[in-house]
Amino acid sequence: MFDIDWVGLSVPFAYIAVLVGSLITFSSVYRKRKAAQSATLAPWFPPHMQRNVYLSLLHEEPAEGQEKAPKVPESLLRAALLRRAVEDIHRIIQIRSAKQACSTLLQRGSVGDDLWQRFQRAEKEMEEELRDVVMEANALSNNWGQTIFQSANEIAANTVFRKRLDEIQAQTESEKEWWEKRRDSIKNEFLKEIESEALSTPAKTQASKFSSDDDAILVDSPVANEKGSIRKKKGKK
Amino acid sequence: MSGTDYSYDEQGQFFPFFVLTVVGIVTIPLTYSVLKPSSDPGVTAPRIKTDFQPEHADLIDAQRKAQKRRERKLKRGVAVVAGWAIMALMAYLIIVTARTVPKIWNPYDILGLSDSATEKEIKSHYKRLSLKFHPDKIRPDPAKNQTLESLNDYFVELTKAYKALTDEEIRNNYQQYGHPDGKQSFSIGIALPKFIVTDGNGKYVILVYAALLGVLLPYLVGSWWYGTQRMSKEKVLIESANNLFREYSEDITEGGIISALSTGVEFQQTLKGDKAESGLERVESRVLAEGEPFTYVGGLTAKDRTKLEDLEGGVRRKALGLLWGYLGRVELDDTALNQAKIEVAPIARALNASFNAIALAFGSTGPILASFLTAQNLIQAIPPGASPLLQLPYITPAIARAIEGDAKTHLTLQQYMQLPEAYRRKLSVGKGLLTESQYKTAIDLAKQLPRLQVEKAFFKVIGEKYITPGSLVSFVVKGRFVPPGSQNVPEVNELDLEDVDPEEDDLDAILGRQKKTSKGEKLKEDKPVQPPLAYAPYYARNYSPRWNVFLTDSKQGKMAVPPFTFIAFDKPIFDESGKPTFNMQTLKAQFQAPPQAGHYTFVMHLICDSYVGFDTKMEVTLVVDEAAKAAEIEAEDDISEPDEGRSKPTHFTRSNANSTTDSLAGQMNALKTGGLTGPPPKKKKRPVTEESSDEESGTEGEEAEDTSETDTDTDEE
Repeated sequence: MFDIDWVGLSVPFAYIAVLVGSLITFSSVYRKRKAAQSATLAPWFPPHMQRNVYLSLLHEEPAEGQEKAPKVPESLLRAALLRRAVEDIHRIIQIRSAKQACSTLLQRGSVGDDLWQRFQRAEKEMEEELRDVVMEANALSNNWGQTIFQSANEIAANTVFRKRLDEIQAQTESEKEWWEKRRDSIKNEFLKEIESEALSTPAKTQASKFSSDDDAILVDSPVANEKGSIRKKKGKK
Repeated sequence: MSGTDYSYDEQGQFFPFFVLTVVGIVTIPLTYSVLKPSSDPGVTAPRIKTDFQPEHADLIDAQRKAQKRRERKLKRGVAVVAGWAIMALMAYLIIVTARTVPKIWNPYDILGLSDSATEKEIKSHYKRLSLKFHPDKIRPDPAKNQTLESLNDYFVELTKAYKALTDEEIRNNYQQYGHPDGKQSFSIGIALPKFIVTDGNGKYVILVYAALLGVLLPYLVGSWWYGTQRMSKEKVLIESANNLFREYSEDITEGGIISALSTGVEFQQTLKGDKAESGLERVESRVLAEGEPFTYVGGLTAKDRTKLEDLEGGVRRKALGLLWGYLGRVELDDTALNQAKIEVAPIARALNASFNAIALAFGSTGPILASFLTAQNLIQAIPPGASPLLQLPYITPAIARAIEGDAKTHLTLQQYMQLPEAYRRKLSVGKGLLTESQYKTAIDLAKQLPRLQVEKAFFKVIGEKYITPGSLVSFVVKGRFVPPGSQNVPEVNELDLEDVDPEEDDLDAILGRQKKTSKGEKLKEDKPVQPPLAYAPYYARNYSPRWNVFLTDSKQGKMAVPPFTFIAFDKPIFDESGKPTFNMQTLKAQFQAPPQAGHYTFVMHLICDSYVGFDTKMEVTLVVDEAAKAAEIEAEDDISEPDEGRSKPTHFTRSNANSTTDSLAGQMNALKTGGLTGPPPKKKKRPVTEESSDEESGTEGEEAEDTSETDTDTDEE
């Protein structure tokens, strides 16, 4: 029989064991960490308030001491569902517009991988949400599921538009005030000019002052023009 | 050392070679990286001279210096010095130990002959030597320490050498193996000292090996990998970039961007530990103090204020407060706070660059413009929507307000400098305003600021007359640096406005490596000229201004051609004495033409990211002709006037509304003459264009003036 050097033989096996063992530990630790990381990723959207409202209306619990839950009128349910659909529209728009940008930025290395993961998760979630809303709508009234998002879309667009209008309208007060002030100051200036003209009999000595006043007006006029154009622009938007 | 055994480097003969090579491989590239001229423009770019010292100039300077120290690559320098020291030591060791290397056996040396000796000479010389040194003939001389044996050996050597040179066989041996006796044993040396393999040291060697391969290598690879993963392409932490992406919205304003920037994770490093909370209240009370001319001293709007106050306490809230403090140049009455205030600005600018990249990916004009304007605001320490006059020394918001009067829009620097001298002085100098010397400093400075005034912008395809669908279009912007308030600005040289195609065989020029004057003479090739560093007294870094040219589609509110960034120009901007040269600069951007023929109207934006109010915005029209039509006209041209070489393709000049008739006439003329000669009305029109000289800035729309006319005519060469 051969005389086997067991100690010597164990060395290469130990080497292989250590190598494989360390690789396995690394891989499992790495994966666990990754999984933990993606599990703790913050959601893309804040909690869906409208959906929560709808669901709590739908599953109204009976109050204490009462047998039956109060009946929620159907119109209220429908309104809540429509609200939910409107919020969904806002989110869909956000996702659609961000998708292209997010993927190009990811390719360029300008944003991180976990952002993309969060984004994809949000996208999937939205798909489920849409399906759910359509089903709920169909349950509430026949074939409403086909049109609910159309109406929601119109509501959403209208809200955005009205918000813009309100913002612009909100400026009117301050604008009015400013223009009043401006008119007063211009008026005063003119009055002063007229007074000084009346007071000083030799008008020629005032020539220098005139020129400077002219300048002042010159300077102001383009300013007013520019304002006009900005207004125009805002109107266009 | 006999036999074909491996021998170790017992005398340390070869080990130095090994070390020298390894150290050299590391040290030489490192030396290059240390000695390489810095790419930082702050080193070579000229500076704008002024004796104005902002408040807390010492703090700002200290941070500039600290930044310079950080960039000095001290560690690398030490490593390089150590590397060269080791290399020198090894070289010394090589030289010293080289003497112990046995000499190569050379029969000529032994016989005392020159290498060129003939056989006859060798024979006679050997005979003489054998007579002299034959052991039978010579007595050993004890005085010379000679014995019979040594004499014998010497004679054997002589004979061997003689044989090697005369005997055929032995000579062959000598030539082949370097020794007359034939093949000698040779040894393969390993350039490692023997102690590495001696018994007992083995385990340490394995330990070192394991540490190198099992610990150091994974560590280096890992740190490199995670280091690159941690930073985005714009050199901000990836987490910050993610946060910025989340903060993006289509209707974001400049104030909104400032709020968004405070999400940066970088601030957590500067505002570590108790810095995150300390002084937060003071910062906020100072920044939110009601003041003139903004609602709050920090320059916030009511919306920005609610945003700030909605934040939870901590780093983000303090960073945002400090940012507004920086923008509003608010005195915080606390050295640490003031220092932090100065510190957040460069971080915010880096974050804003990242936000800019995000906005570009979304492609909406509003956020892109807002992010460029935010960069200007951050560098100049001016709140969004504040007066551009604040860029001048000594001008405070109150003074700017007094100068501007009760206007709703702001005077730009160039408008301010165009006011008549006396009137301007009257507005600016006085009680509560500037003093005479302060006024002079401010005006001197304004006259040094590089403002790029666009003279002409047009589209062309190199070597073609018409722009066909899908071709590679160059968008050429011709402009001059005209500092605000420059007097005696020379007329535009018509020839400078042409963009002459390079010769067809001139590859260099086609690739944009050479410049020619319009006459075709070659200018001496000089390296690009850097504009002076941005004049930004409150910004604690040296910053080289960048000019961005991009096209947007005003109807869709989208970007059409992404920005091309220019940091250097082809001609000097200022001469030695600091006077502007008014050289015509050429900026070129290339992009693919749309696939369908038609007229495309774009809005061109030229934005400098360091100065507020120097932006140019104008309409340009790209005319894309059908490929068939272009070919047809070209064929016609060939028949009628074959000599007409490269003439400029369709180009577009900006003109005033009142010159419409001119250019209409020009078009008619062009039609009549087959589009070959430059119409005379053009000459008349140009001065008009200059008079109106693009005084608008990006923030002001001058739609009436921006109507651009399309000329389908061509110029004579």
